[in-house]
Amino acid sequence: MSGGYNEIHPEPTTFWSKYIISFDHKVIAKQFLWYGIFFLGLGGLMALLIRWTLAYPGVPVPVIGSILFPNSAGVVPPDTYAMLFTMHGTIMIFYAITPILIGAFGNYCIPLMIGARDMAFPMLNMLSFWFAFLSGAVLLASFGLPLGAAAGGWTSYPTLSTLVGQPGLGQTLWSLAIFLFGVSSTMGAVNYVTTVITLRAPGMGYFDMPLTIWGLWLTAILNAIFVPVLCAGVILLMLDRVFGTTFFLAGASATSGSGDPVLFQHVFWIFGHPEVYILILPAWGIVSDLLSFFSRKPAFGAKATALSMTAVTILSTLVYGHHMFTTQMSPLLTQSFMTLTMTISIPSAIFFANWLGTIWKGSIRFDSPMLFSLGVVFVFGLGGLTGLHLGTVTTDLYLHDTYFVVGHFHYTMAASVLLGGFAGIYFWFPKMFGRMMNELMAKIHFWGTMIGLNGVFFGMLMVGYGGMHRRIYNPFIYESLQRLIPINTFITTSAIVMGAFQIIFVINFLYSLKKGPKAPNNPWDVGTLEWTIPSPPVHHNYDVIPVVKCGPHEFGNPNLTTGRDFQYQTEDLVKA
Amino acid sequence: MVLISGTMLFATLLMGYAVYRTSAPTWPPAGTLPVKLVFPLLSTVSILLSSFFMHKVRTEFEDLKKAKLNLDTTLVLGFLFMGLQTLFWSELRNSGLLVGSGIFSSILYGFTWIHAAHVVMGLLSLLWLRFVLKVETRNLDVKVLNVEKFWHFLGIIWSIMFLTLFIL
Repeated sequence: MSGGYNEIHPEPTTFWSKYIISFDHKVIAKQFLWYGIFFLGLGGLMALLIRWTLAYPGVPVPVIGSILFPNSAGVVPPDTYAMLFTMHGTIMIFYAITPILIGAFGNYCIPLMIGARDMAFPMLNMLSFWFAFLSGAVLLASFGLPLGAAAGGWTSYPTLSTLVGQPGLGQTLWSLAIFLFGVSSTMGAVNYVTTVITLRAPGMGYFDMPLTIWGLWLTAILNAIFVPVLCAGVILLMLDRVFGTTFFLAGASATSGSGDPVLFQHVFWIFGHPEVYILILPAWGIVSDLLSFFSRKPAFGAKATALSMTAVTILSTLVYGHHMFTTQMSPLLTQSFMTLTMTISIPSAIFFANWLGTIWKGSIRFDSPMLFSLGVVFVFGLGGLTGLHLGTVTTDLYLHDTYFVVGHFHYTMAASVLLGGFAGIYFWFPKMFGRMMNELMAKIHFWGTMIGLNGVFFGMLMVGYGGMHRRIYNPFIYESLQRLIPINTFITTSAIVMGAFQIIFVINFLYSLKKGPKAPNNPWDVGTLEWTIPSPPVHHNYDVIPVVKCGPHEFGNPNLTTGRDFQYQTEDLVKA
Repeated sequence: MVLISGTMLFATLLMGYAVYRTSAPTWPPAGTLPVKLVFPLLSTVSILLSSFFMHKVRTEFEDLKKAKLNLDTTLVLGFLFMGLQTLFWSELRNSGLLVGSGIFSSILYGFTWIHAAHVVMGLLSLLWLRFVLKVETRNLDVKVLNVEKFWHFLGIIWSIMFLTLFIL
């Protein structure tokens, strides 16, 4: 299956080729991880600033306020507020979640878990990171502009994002950054897809792949198909802004001719809906695996889980209209999109039930990766249920653009993916860096995060149901919303608590990196391929390409004679 | 190995561009066309001819001399295409159809620009192939095949654009 690509590359010797322009998938994964964690922190700080403004409008931000906003005595100014929520969304989605879940875990896990020596196209992989880096640099540069960074929302709808809605270079640089990011993602995605198809170890069929790889693979397919659609959209937006075309200009904002602002929304959501599945699929895959690993039981209905994830992938391409129910779509269309959207809940329910089936009667080990995985099961369940209200046209018309939407997509996209990402970091950290993380700190981190984020996002659902709009600088100028101030204060307090507990994670991460106890080859007693080799793996991963003989979730077989309760994928399947 | 991945970069673009085009037809149809068809027509001829020669590069690949000649012809026709495009743009400008004069000219300029940007990439990869033909033989067939695919792809996209933008 290797097709001659799976040769051993000579190990790089210089600092430059080893750490900077490395072709090694493990190094690139770590680069993405650092990149993602940096932006996660940045996006998180922005979230806190947003939350502060919503709970205490007009009150100066403590400590950092006077440094960041000297002209307004430490209060977040209205235009900066718009910039903050725009950049918070952009950074979290494109520069935090994507690099960590897809960039880091995709790069790290795919070759190791399928028994390959590297990606199919190592150079493309390197380019993918450096394009992402460039994109991040452009985005950060836009903060230094006189008129500030983009402020048209992460969706950048025209006319908000046209020159009329937003003069200045910020939005243009935003488009450029997103375009570069799209190039990076597409390169990565093509690489992942090819790697999974061509470089699986001998004997590994598609259903012998760990579900993590399924998740990442489906993600990569969606990425390769739909990210270019966004690229097309932002190119046209850039042409509009720089060269004076009128793709998205209409009415009073166009000097002549007529484009169509709603067109951008179509293009954006054709990409945008698959994008939310791009973000969540790797987390689903990781959780599906980890639940089995730490319940010491085979994954319940693993094949069904893989196939229902595939079904979600396909369906996700057909439902984008549900983001646009309020754009005067014909009722026939909204009804169709609603029906298709509801259809997604069927495969979602299948693998959700499989997760519960996996932990049912398992002898569960409550290690930190398992805690985070169980957290994902909880928050994704909640997020999924609130999706029903938004997918239904009649209720969406009321809830559209309220904080209910914000709460919903944070539960599904932010909370689930964040917890899934942490589960992955705690789980693969020993393999990545050869050291164990502190378990007690990890557990404290988990409970702090879990309680904090539920306080934040459930509070958002409540204020949204109460009618609070998403994007208003000070919602409490409306008398009817003033009764929501206490809940907003509660949300902000929860957010600060959650943010504070992330410091524990950072300390744990940095400390374990240097001082953590040395990790054994297989600290979690798991049978997938990456745990058969030393931690951290050598440069070419496998001295001998392993031959796969059974699936990834062979646990608790009473006939095992090895003294273990699991078997490696390289061992002949013992009949139960 | 590294060079193969280099060529795959273009395969990536190919994939991306394919989806790009499928999203393009959602644009609202334009009004009447006051555009002269001379230059687009000549462009079409030149890019299709170049595709034909590119095809010959691969099929008559064994004879290195012939392959080089065919590749050169492809290159010349490719540059000719770019030249014709430039003439086409200046003609548009002279006839008063500016970038900002409405959605139709936006599409006309925007799409041809983006296509031209890809042609530049195509020309660069052709030049690179021309260079590789001289110095290296490893995996040459794969490289030729990948560049050829990308070049045909540009031709096909142009034909589609020609049909939809100028004829229909």
